[in-house]
Amino acid sequence: MRFLAKRLAGLVAVLLVASFLVYGLLYLVPGGPMAFLLGNRSGTPEQIAAIRAQYHLDDPFLVRYAAWLRDAVTGDFGTSLVYRQDVSALMASRATTTVFLVVYATLLIVTGGVAMGLLAGLRGGRADGVVTLVSSAFLATPPFVVGVILVIVFALGLGWFPVFGAGSGFGDRVHHLTLPAVTLSLASAAFLARVTRASVAEESGREHVETARSRGLAEGHIVRRHVLRNAAIPVVTVAGLNVAGLIAGSVVVESIFALDGLGSLFVRAILQRDFAIVQAVVLVLVTAFVLINLVVDLCYSALDPRLSRQ
Amino acid sequence: MIRRALPAAAALALALTACGRQAVPPQQQGTGGAPKLELRTVTAPATGELDKATWNLPYEPQTIDPIRSFNYAENTVLANMCESLLRLTPEFRIEPGLAEKADNPTPTTWVYTIRDGVKFWDGAPLTAEDVAASLDRHLDPALGTWWGDYFHNVESIKATGPMQVTVTLKQPDVLFNQAMATAAGAIVSAGYAKKKDLGSPTGGVMCTGPYQYESWKSGDSLTIKRNDAYWDTALRPKTKELVFRFIADETTAVNALRSGEVDGQYFYLPPAGLGQLQQSTTGSVTLGRSLTFWTLLGAAKSGPYADPKVRRALSLALDRAAISKVVFQGTALPQRTLAGAEYWGYQRDVFQKAHDAIPPETPDLAKAKQLLTEAGSPTQTITIGIQGSSAVHEQTANLIKATGEALGLKIEIKVIPVEQYGNLYSDPKAREGIDAFFSTWYGNVPDPLDIYTVFLAGGRTNFNDYAGVDGDITKARAAYDEAERAALVTTIQQKVTADVPWMPLNNLPVILYMNKRVTGAVASFPYLYYPWAAGLGAA
Repeated sequence: MRFLAKRLAGLVAVLLVASFLVYGLLYLVPGGPMAFLLGNRSGTPEQIAAIRAQYHLDDPFLVRYAAWLRDAVTGDFGTSLVYRQDVSALMASRATTTVFLVVYATLLIVTGGVAMGLLAGLRGGRADGVVTLVSSAFLATPPFVVGVILVIVFALGLGWFPVFGAGSGFGDRVHHLTLPAVTLSLASAAFLARVTRASVAEESGREHVETARSRGLAEGHIVRRHVLRNAAIPVVTVAGLNVAGLIAGSVVVESIFALDGLGSLFVRAILQRDFAIVQAVVLVLVTAFVLINLVVDLCYSALDPRLSRQ
Repeated sequence: MIRRALPAAAALALALTACGRQAVPPQQQGTGGAPKLELRTVTAPATGELDKATWNLPYEPQTIDPIRSFNYAENTVLANMCESLLRLTPEFRIEPGLAEKADNPTPTTWVYTIRDGVKFWDGAPLTAEDVAASLDRHLDPALGTWWGDYFHNVESIKATGPMQVTVTLKQPDVLFNQAMATAAGAIVSAGYAKKKDLGSPTGGVMCTGPYQYESWKSGDSLTIKRNDAYWDTALRPKTKELVFRFIADETTAVNALRSGEVDGQYFYLPPAGLGQLQQSTTGSVTLGRSLTFWTLLGAAKSGPYADPKVRRALSLALDRAAISKVVFQGTALPQRTLAGAEYWGYQRDVFQKAHDAIPPETPDLAKAKQLLTEAGSPTQTITIGIQGSSAVHEQTANLIKATGEALGLKIEIKVIPVEQYGNLYSDPKAREGIDAFFSTWYGNVPDPLDIYTVFLAGGRTNFNDYAGVDGDITKARAAYDEAERAALVTTIQQKVTADVPWMPLNNLPVILYMNKRVTGAVASFPYLYYPWAAGLGAA
C-alpha cells in the first residue's frame, strides 16, 4: 500500500513538472495562435486587441500558468482557443480511438512477440533462423513505410481492409484498426521476440534447468516452471516500455490512416499554439506512461516476490 | 474544341434548371507557348438520386460559424447549408439570393429586400430580424470575424421593415454589396446568432440552405442531409446525405479516393499523387475556373527589393510557364496580372484591352537586365521566405533564385517552419529580414478591385507599405458606375503590375476529383460559396 501511495505522489510531481515545462516551452517558441483566431487577412488593431484580451494572450507567463493550473486542479482543462470547445469534450471523442488502437497493438505485440520468441528460443535451428531474419526486417522498417506498404497491398490491392478511418461499433473498429495496429506493433513485436528468444535461451541453459532435466521432470513442466517464469522479467520490462512508447508512436500511424486519435489532435494543437489542448494531452500521456510503469512494477512483484521485499 | 459563346442569361438558366443541367463549354485559356487547360464551371449533370455520398475535406473545419468561415474546408461545408443575401454562381455572376433585391438609394446605404416564403430548417420563417442579427455579428470585435475587410466601412445594420434590412456605410463601398454573395453575407437564424457555441460540433448552425446540419463527430466526420422543404426547387439536392471526412494526409486522401471509400474532393493545390488520380480507373479529375492564384508577396521596406524597378526586372525575367510545369504539374496557368480574367465580372472589354496592353507572361531577359542597370545593379541580397516542408514553396523559390542569378541578383532562401509561417501575415516582427514570401491568395467576388484593395495605405496585408494606388482604390470602391469603376481599376492594375508590390505567378484552377459513380458537383471556385453539392448525384 505504501508502495502505491509513494508511486502516486511521484506521479503528481511528474505531472506538475511536465505541465510547467510544456507550458513554458510553448510560450517561448515564437508565434502565437493569432492567425488561427482571426485568419490571415482581416483584423483591425482594435479587433486584435479585443481577441488578445479575451483569451488572456497578453498576461505574463506565470499568471497564465497559474490560472490554468487552478482550473486544471478542479478538473476544468479549459476551452480550446482554436475550436472554442471544451478540451475534455474534444479529448473524450478521440481517446476511444487511441485507447482501442494501443490496446489492439499491445495484444499483437505481446502475443506475436512472445510466441515468435518462444518458438525461436525453444525450437532453435531453422525456426530460430527464420524468426531472427523476420524480426530483423521488421525492426529495420520504419512504421510509415510499413503503413504505406500495408495500405497498398491489403487495402488498395486486395481490398480486405479500409484505407482510412477508425470505424464505429466493435466489429467495425477491429476491421478499421487492424492495419494501423499491425503497423504500430511490427517493430515492437520484433524487438520483444528478440528479447524473449535471448532470455529463454539463456534460462534453458542455466544450472537449475539442467538439474531439473537430470532429475527426469517432464519437459513441459520444466519450461513453464523454470524457464518461462525466470525469462519473464526482461520480457515484461521490454513489453511495458514498448507499450508506453506506443502512445507516442501512434501519432505517425494516426496520420497515415487518418484516425481521429489523441496523437493527431496533439500535433495539430502544437502547430496552432492551442495551449489548453497541448497541456491536457501531455497530462494524459504522462499519466498513462507512469501508470503503465506502475503496472510493470506490480508484475515484477507477482513474478518474483523478492523484488518487492526491500 | 469549338468555343460556343452562350449568352450569360441562357447559361444561367441552364445551370439552374435541375433536370436540364448541362455542362457549359470549357474555356480555353492561356496565350502563346503557355500551357492550355480545359477549365470548367460545372461537371456532367447527374442522372439519378443517391442515398449517400462521402466527400473529403483537406482538414477538419475549425468551425462552421459563417463569420469565421473563410477558408477551404469551412466554406466547402458551409456553402451547402447557409445561404447568403446574394448568390455567386459557378459562372462567377452575382445573383439575388436570400435578398430578392439590393437597392442603393444613396451611395452610403444598401437596402436589402428579404425573399418571402423562405424557411429555416426548423420551419421558422426568414425575416429581417435574422438578417440583421447575422450581419451584426461582424461588427462585434469580441466575436472575431474573419471578414472584417468588408465590414470596416459599415456604420450600422438595421431591420427597417419586417422584410427589409438597411446597411449604412461610413463611406460608399461597392465591395460591401458584392461580399454579400460570399459567406460574409450568410444568414443564420436570430436565435442561433446569439448562441455562444454557434458553428461548433455541439452548437451546429440553423440556416435555410438545400442541405441541413445533421451531426459533427469531432475528429471523425461531419454529416449534412437534404432539406426537403428547400425554397429553391431548382437546386433541390439529388443526394440525401453527404458525409464529410477530414483526411489531412495527402497520400491517404488519394488512396481513399482511388479505393472509392471517398467519392470526391476539391484540391486547392495539386497533391503529390495527382498523377495517380488522373490515371485512376475509379474516377476522374476536372479542372475548374478559379479566383485563386500563387504569388510572391513583397514585404521589403528597404534594400533592393523595396525598389519597384528591381521587382519589375525580376518579374519580367521570370519563366512563369516553367513554374506551372515544374511546381504545379501542369495544372496552373501563367499570369501577367494578379487578378486574372475570372475576376472580370463587368466591362469585360475594358479589362481585356487593359490586359492585352500589359507585358506578356513570357520572360523578357533583355528588358529586365536594362531595368536592373537603371536601378544601379544592386549587390545586396534579397531574402525570400518559404514555408518548411512544402515542395511548392521550395521549387518556386529555386526557380526565382535561378532567374535572379541569370540577372545578377543575389537571392537567398530562408526556410520558415510551417507553424510559424502564418505569423508572417499578422506580425511585422516576423517579417523582419524577409523581403518577400509566397502565398496562395484569392479574392472572393468577380471584381479585380477585390484583389487590388489590399494595397490600401495602412492595410493589414499591404506588407511593404505600397502607396502607389491608395487614392485610386478609395475612389474605385466608391464608384458604383461600372464603366467608371473599370476605368479606375484598370489604372490601378497597370500601376500595381508595373511596380510589382506582389508578383503575379500562376492562376491555380480548382482540382476536383470525383468517383465515376457520382457527378454533378460544381467545378469552379464558387464552390466555396454556392451550394455545389445540390447537383451531386448518381452518374
